Amino acid sequence: MDIVFRAFFVFVLLYVLMRVIGRRELSTLEPFDLILLVVLGDLVQQGVTQDDYSVTGIMLAIGTIGLLQLGVSFTNYKFPKLRPLLDGEPIIVVQDGKPIEGNMKRERVTLEDIAGAARQESIAHISEIQWAVLETNGKMSFIKKPDS
Amino acid sequence: MPDRIDLKTHRDLESWVYNRPIRYAIIALIAAVSVLGLFNVFGQRPSTTTADSPSASLEVFAPEHLRGGLLWEARFTIQAHKDLTHAVLQLAPGWLEGMQINTIEPGPIAETSRNGSLLMTLGPVKKGTHYTLYMQFQVIPTNVGRRSADVALYDADQKLVTIDREIKVYP
Repeated sequence: MDIVFRAFFVFVLLYVLMRVIGRRELSTLEPFDLILLVVLGDLVQQGVTQDDYSVTGIMLAIGTIGLLQLGVSFTNYKFPKLRPLLDGEPIIVVQDGKPIEGNMKRERVTLEDIAGAARQESIAHISEIQWAVLETNGKMSFIKKPDS
Repeated sequence: MPDRIDLKTHRDLESWVYNRPIRYAIIALIAAVSVLGLFNVFGQRPSTTTADSPSASLEVFAPEHLRGGLLWEARFTIQAHKDLTHAVLQLAPGWLEGMQINTIEPGPIAETSRNGSLLMTLGPVKKGTHYTLYMQFQVIPTNVGRRSADVALYDADQKLVTIDREIKVYP
């Protein structure tokens, strides 16, 4: 029973933490972020299963987390009003070639970030962008101006 | 304008999801837990409690806040002001409930139970000397909650001092 509660608590804690940390940090897996993720996973494992080395314990923990993830995904699909809370909303960071400072500041996105992401989409200048949207998964999507 | 993008929501951030106070409150809550941890709210820094009587004084050095799985130590120091012929230490059940005892040093002469409490017979302690008993434990992870961890020192059947303590175990 304990392991189910612990898995539930850890799932909720991680979910809230990830929502608060922000989408940019989650999408840019720099080497340090990767190490941090591994360390986080190890710490979480200790808290959830503790000294339980049994297969039953693993099944309980994984099953609980899997079901909760399924539940969140189902709630997301079934109740659109909860989607912004569970998944977040896309945020426009560039409109008509002009960066929107307030939104960039909110998501801690720099002009360099936008320019870098734009280059990956073969866009040389921010001025060529009609819309740049920071998606809920942390990636940026671009729509070029019709004349560029 | 891309499909499913709305200027009021996605540019001007007028949705309730972008409410900064809620975000800041959650960040503050997470930070508060870490700060409370720094202040020993969740253990396991030991504290000292003492009690004195004309015959002897007793000092207990042990953590009051613990977490599941922790290894920890309790130190009991008896300072004899008079000759104690038959020192006996009584530990409330909270010291043992859900705890694994790894070590008791020096080993008591005898151990028994009195109304659920553990009685450890330590033997004579000469006037002006002190006797230190070390106990090392590990918290069984499912042992969560608050329980009494009182300690009493007897000389044979005569109670000399009592220390009221509590152990709180966090999950």
